[in-house]
Amino acid sequence: MKKRGKGIACMVYPIGFTSYPNPSAAFVQVNQDGSAVVLTGATDVGQGSTTALAQIAAEELGIAYDAVTMVTSDTQRTPFDLGSVASRVTYITGNAVKRAAGDAKKTLLQVAAEMLDVMSPDELEAGDGKIYVKNSPDRNVSVAAVAREATLVKGRPPIGEGSYNPTTTFLDPETGHGKPYEAYVFATQIAEVEVDTETGQVDVLKIAAAHDCGKAINPLLVEGQIEGGVAMGLGYGLMEEMVLENGVVKNPQFTDYILPTALDMPLIETAIVEVPVSTGPFGAKGVGEPSLIPTAPAIVNAIYDAIGIRIYDLPATPSKILAALKEKERANILKEEE
Amino acid sequence: MTHVIGQRIPRHDAILQVTGKAEYGIDLARRGMLHAKVLRSALPHAKLLKLDTTRARNLPGVAAVITAADVPNNRFGFTHLDQPLLAEDKVRYRGDAIAAIAADSLKTAEEALRLIDVEYEPLPGIFDPVQAMEPDAPKIHGESNIASHIKIRYGDIELGWSRSDEIVEDTLTTQMIEHASIEPHAALAEVDGRGMVTVHSSVQRPFLIATDLSKILKIPLNRIRVVVTAVGGGFGGKNEITMEPYICLLALKTGKPVKLVYTREEEFQATTVRHPYIVKYKSGVKKDGTLVARQARIVSDAGAYVSWGESTLSKACIHGAGPYRIPNVKIDGYLVYTNNSIGGAMRGFGVPQLGFAHEVHTDHIAEKLGIDPLEFRLKNALVDGSSLPTGQVLESVPLKETMRQAVQLIGWKKEVAWDEKAR
Repeated sequence: MKKRGKGIACMVYPIGFTSYPNPSAAFVQVNQDGSAVVLTGATDVGQGSTTALAQIAAEELGIAYDAVTMVTSDTQRTPFDLGSVASRVTYITGNAVKRAAGDAKKTLLQVAAEMLDVMSPDELEAGDGKIYVKNSPDRNVSVAAVAREATLVKGRPPIGEGSYNPTTTFLDPETGHGKPYEAYVFATQIAEVEVDTETGQVDVLKIAAAHDCGKAINPLLVEGQIEGGVAMGLGYGLMEEMVLENGVVKNPQFTDYILPTALDMPLIETAIVEVPVSTGPFGAKGVGEPSLIPTAPAIVNAIYDAIGIRIYDLPATPSKILAALKEKERANILKEEE
Repeated sequence: MTHVIGQRIPRHDAILQVTGKAEYGIDLARRGMLHAKVLRSALPHAKLLKLDTTRARNLPGVAAVITAADVPNNRFGFTHLDQPLLAEDKVRYRGDAIAAIAADSLKTAEEALRLIDVEYEPLPGIFDPVQAMEPDAPKIHGESNIASHIKIRYGDIELGWSRSDEIVEDTLTTQMIEHASIEPHAALAEVDGRGMVTVHSSVQRPFLIATDLSKILKIPLNRIRVVVTAVGGGFGGKNEITMEPYICLLALKTGKPVKLVYTREEEFQATTVRHPYIVKYKSGVKKDGTLVARQARIVSDAGAYVSWGESTLSKACIHGAGPYRIPNVKIDGYLVYTNNSIGGAMRGFGVPQLGFAHEVHTDHIAEKLGIDPLEFRLKNALVDGSSLPTGQVLESVPLKETMRQAVQLIGWKKEVAWDEKAR
């Protein structure tokens, strides 16, 4: 018989390293044609961080995304970055890039103030490839013209530097008290499963994943992260397990270490919950690791809802589920006999 | 003004990826490069009595063989400096590296591996972290197998139990898994005429790789360059040095570029894994569903070396109460050496283990009280201004909003009342 059920799981997860300083730095140069180069040590490991960081630089400089070139992850060409770990790149490297772009923009605004004949750079803003007077955007000059003027006339190339390190403290060794992180994200996932009571097979039909990320710099990439995390969580919940015997891995290939494939994936519905935080670049936090955390328990709780079997040891394989169903049946028969 | 923030822009390298033009670590090649292989321990726990590489070195096509004696500083680690790059007097798990070889072909390197003579004296192995905590268990490093004990104390746990109407206890366990990146670890090292060592590698933290290489090779940072290739999956598994020291030493020794790619079997046997956890939860609740106390005891199987085990356990403990307001909390985490694979960094860093445990436990409590699991969570959820068991006050907590939006997407078993004020 096939039985359906729904299960929920929630989580809290931090952004950045626990307690230890974990800075990122960035350099920015605005070229004479209004394009820009950003140097950062952050590594795109497939999550799309280079794209998101380019968006942050473009927004801050008021230029188009395509006008930004990223130079990344080369220890002799780019400034220090702690690394693409701990869901930290958008928040920490993002802040560093925003600061570096803001630093370069300072020169642009100072030069533009003279070109536009305003009293102070504070009266100006950058956007759509132009620097304009806040209250009368028709008074403007292109970023390219300002960058050229700054570099070749004023002799002040518009370059910028920036770094960011979250404010944290170490934990008291006896009580564990302290402020190990600057920002946290929250999430809920609900899984709907169908369990075959004859085979113990669990078919995950649908997963709803709602993740707080502060502000989505790029919703497409946030959704990609969530979908990838759900896939990883599904493997953790139902399939993956290294089997060791006296320290020897008995299943060291993908023939018998089972990863979820496209055919195992359920329909994933994502919701991006946006509550911007003042400490993040344009309010952003992160989503990288959190996306996998609620998946396995949501599935396991859905299995319970479907068949009344609670799995306490991962993964929830068909053989464990079948054994538990048989055990339950035996207990029911004994109860009836009494 | 148009905004770039919030736009659904495809990845900058999407075209390279889908046309197969992105260059991964595994794609690296140089004219005249050598291929490296690593000899791993044949036993999970043993003394190394003899190591003779003569026959391997004399095989035609073999350019160099390195052992522990060739590593200028043969020790690394993050919180614990407990791991040798190449084994010295002892091996502690089946992934321990004993020697590395560079040869003109992969076939020759593989053949040379079999010509290295190693004599072991087997030591009793310990594979169960709970047994490893016993005082008379075989020791893997020093006097005790307990590498760390992390504590979180919040409120008064005894008071919490006394105020509880119901106490629910569960033991939950999670398994060992691999990062299983589709691209295995892969790197190429080359040394130029000025002595500059350049490593191209598929890694997540190039600056950590460079710093650790500098310490291990005793070469200043301005003569080491780490360049990251396209990364075909990391998930924490490409967080630290793995093969880089071997290929740098072999490149320095031979003057030729050296490339190394781990096989899938090596990925499983000799790289870090997600720590298996045993989590004992005990929670006290009022009849109305208010959580008043939670205790957790976590045992983490570190494997043979600590690697990121302490940091991982610390993050797990900090989040051990789950996303709930609980006034009395006591958490103890133990990191225990065994002769199993080394637990390292992996996406979620200890919290997926705890997340599974506290969420299944939470459903169990709700069932005992006869309360809907969503309503039970809403009643106890962290809100703006709540504290974690570290005492840290949280500012922006849209947890209930994530519950509301998840329910909107998929529906729930019953109607629940959403509190509009508390996020």
